[in-house]
Amino acid sequence: MAAAARALRVLPRALRVPSATRQLHSSPVCLKARAARVRAGRGDKAVTYEQAHAPHHIGHRKGWLSLHTGNLCGEAGAAQRAIEDAFLRRFLAGTFPGLLADELVLKRRGNLLVVCALLGRALPPHKLYFLLGYAETLLGNFYKCPVRLELQTVPARVPYKYL
Amino acid sequence: MAAGWLWRRLCQGSAFPVSYASRIMQKQYFLPSSNLMGARLAGSHGDTQESKTNPLVSLSDEPETLYKRLSILVKGHDKAVLDSYEYFAVLAAKELGISVEKVDKPPKTIERFTLLKSVHIYKKHRVQYEMRTHYMCLELKYLTSSTAAVYLEYVQRNLPEGVAMEVKKTKIEKIPEHIQKPVWDTLPQVEETEVKS
Repeated sequence: MAAAARALRVLPRALRVPSATRQLHSSPVCLKARAARVRAGRGDKAVTYEQAHAPHHIGHRKGWLSLHTGNLCGEAGAAQRAIEDAFLRRFLAGTFPGLLADELVLKRRGNLLVVCALLGRALPPHKLYFLLGYAETLLGNFYKCPVRLELQTVPARVPYKYL
Repeated sequence: MAAGWLWRRLCQGSAFPVSYASRIMQKQYFLPSSNLMGARLAGSHGDTQESKTNPLVSLSDEPETLYKRLSILVKGHDKAVLDSYEYFAVLAAKELGISVEKVDKPPKTIERFTLLKSVHIYKKHRVQYEMRTHYMCLELKYLTSSTAAVYLEYVQRNLPEGVAMEVKKTKIEKIPEHIQKPVWDTLPQVEETEVKS
């Protein structure tokens, strides 16, 4: 048994016959009942209007954060848009670290991608303009479509509730 | 007031600068406009009926294709957005002089799927997701191809995000030469012969 194993190891990789193995692939759990919901706490956590409402309020008390035609009946491309959205949110959260007052709103009009962001006032304007141009150029080159970033600064995050 | 604000907001929402691509226009005969607003146009102008040579517009001699019906189906997730877009499209059609046959609102379609709430067991506890698609169908009648092209370009440049459009055109064509007259008129006269058994 050990001799056979040693003999197998001596052989070059291409000649080794694959032995029967089983693998288990697990992805992170999708906690559907806890998604996008802020749990009630002691009462000191400030929460914006967007965060305070659960996903079943979308269309009734909330609007959509990402507007595209991928999820309409008879239209394609939903998965591609979802991946792009995820990347865009992470990229912009990293480009403006700690400055985003609320979630990004992504709008797609034809080829154009409009990203609307609410920022705090921690950085001086010339730095914000630089980051704006940087983000637009990089995203435009990456996605091969015109990207427009519309920024607005607010003095502070507006709390809707304290949970 | 609300309409004016809505119109301006929709116009500002357009993604493209308002520079026009060159369009091939069919030859149009300009009728004298009888409802000229404002006395400043009367008399002080040159010839208002003479077609101004616009370098972006080229004329061609081909006959225009005529459309009996132009059916625009607009789909979206948000009913309020579709309602405001309907107001905008109907207003644009009226301004261009296009007759609106009807504005139909087909019922919404809901695509639902039910998943297990938990990762491992608990079959009795599930979670449901749904996607709603609202529709609005605008039907315009009796258009020429250049009018249709202009209207569609304007209305599509101002399409809101998250809204999809499908356009169906019904053409009017002349009846082909070979079926204009009934067949039994063109056949040669066959003499009736008595069949003797």
